[in-house]
Amino acid sequence: MCAAGILKIEKLSKSFNVDEKELKVLEAINLDVVPGEFVSMVGTSGCGKTTLLRLIVGLDGQYEGDILLDGKRLSGPSIDRGMVFQDHRLLPWLTVEQNIGFGLHDRKKADRKAIVQQHINLVGLKGFEQAFPYKLSGGMAQRAAIARALVNRPAILALDEPLGALDALTRMYMQAELEKIWKEEKIAMIMVTHDIEEAIYLSDRVVIMSPRPGRIKRVIPVPLARPRDRDSFDFVQIKEEILKEFHLEAEKYFAYSI
Amino acid sequence: MAQGDKLKGLKGAVVPLLMISIWWGLAHAKFFPDYLCPMPEKVIGTAIRLYASGELVFNVKMSLFRVISGFAIGAGIGFILGAGMGFFRIIEKTVGPFFHAFRQVPLLGWVPLIVLWAGIGEAGKIVLIALGASYPVAMNTFQGIRSVKKEFIEVARVFEFSNRRLLAAVILPSALPEILTGLRLALSKSWMMVVGAEIFIAANGGIGDMMWDARDRFHMDIVMVGFILIGCIGFLLNQGILWVEEYSLGWRKTFEKG
Repeated sequence: MCAAGILKIEKLSKSFNVDEKELKVLEAINLDVVPGEFVSMVGTSGCGKTTLLRLIVGLDGQYEGDILLDGKRLSGPSIDRGMVFQDHRLLPWLTVEQNIGFGLHDRKKADRKAIVQQHINLVGLKGFEQAFPYKLSGGMAQRAAIARALVNRPAILALDEPLGALDALTRMYMQAELEKIWKEEKIAMIMVTHDIEEAIYLSDRVVIMSPRPGRIKRVIPVPLARPRDRDSFDFVQIKEEILKEFHLEAEKYFAYSI
Repeated sequence: MAQGDKLKGLKGAVVPLLMISIWWGLAHAKFFPDYLCPMPEKVIGTAIRLYASGELVFNVKMSLFRVISGFAIGAGIGFILGAGMGFFRIIEKTVGPFFHAFRQVPLLGWVPLIVLWAGIGEAGKIVLIALGASYPVAMNTFQGIRSVKKEFIEVARVFEFSNRRLLAAVILPSALPEILTGLRLALSKSWMMVVGAEIFIAANGGIGDMMWDARDRFHMDIVMVGFILIGCIGFLLNQGILWVEEYSLGWRKTFEKG
């Protein structure tokens, strides 16, 4: 809460034991995230991006190298780092309001209520305070999950494909919402996504990862004004550049029309 | 909706009414001698007479007292055992096999031992009922705790929950549906066992005792009263727990609710 939130990842490696064999999932990761920055990680499955996120949050441990938050090496979870999962993971027996207040630590009742209400308004769920998760649409559930992750005002919010389970239209709408929340809350966000357009739309920098073992292949800055226009020349240029890293660029033809 | 509910209630009455008509027909056709198959109206008369004399109320009270004591003790022990096995693998490994072997012994097989150890007084009957009630609660509590989703536990870990808070806010609510199912099975088992206990372990009062005593004197009408009463009270006990389930598990999206 009081942390400035400078995240420094240095020479990070991580292995898992699979069938008694060491499997290296991350190797030599170096990445800095400054307070308030939005960073996305893209890459094919198996490139270790979710593992990297889980290490930052503290859900996985035992790594080599350093993950430092304001100079302190991380071990285990802490409320200065929040997480939004792909599946919203709202507790089905709690209402929206109770779910959002779920992680609030040691607050007075009145404070609690005010903080929860403020976040309900932030994510646009006013009127759904008493609803149980099964009544919510995918987009609404994910909004509640985002609010839940924000109530403790973490320095860093990790998002693991937060919009991955939504349909295309809801997804675009939620991207704009997420940007609005990020601007208002001024919290550094690190997002894993499969959607390159989503990464460019939201991020200050896009980190491209390559698999087996997961490495950072390239970091591409996105110096475009917000809100971004997905059809602008610069946007499409950056998209082409990223796709090139995956050898998926569109073939160029010279076309003549008579 | 209201009309649908009414129809549902009526459907439940079809089979009992049919049974009563067949019974009435058989009794009036003098198909069996009267002492084997008393007429329904005679049974109703007997029920009224027994109720007026206070005999019925006394016997029901005795049986309910045994059921409630046995159920409370058995469910308590079962819960502790199931929770212990659910939380600690060491308890599961050490106590589990013993518990599952024990469970195979039919409850009535316990009667000789229980009579020797706990006597033929109230203690013996209550021990037998407690034994029957403990198994389903232990099994279902164990299952409920083991099937708590890892995903929800991770959410709590991200918020730095203490073990106690994890237990109260995630594990118990998540396991509650199974625990309640266990309690429901235990209660109906207790109710069944009380009649057995009153017949096999000489009793002073109780519905089982009333029926057994009447059988000795060829009072089939009293046996019938006991028979119907057991069914009705068992049904009501079951409905009671179903009501508790519905009340406390309103968050579930079930088939029933559509």
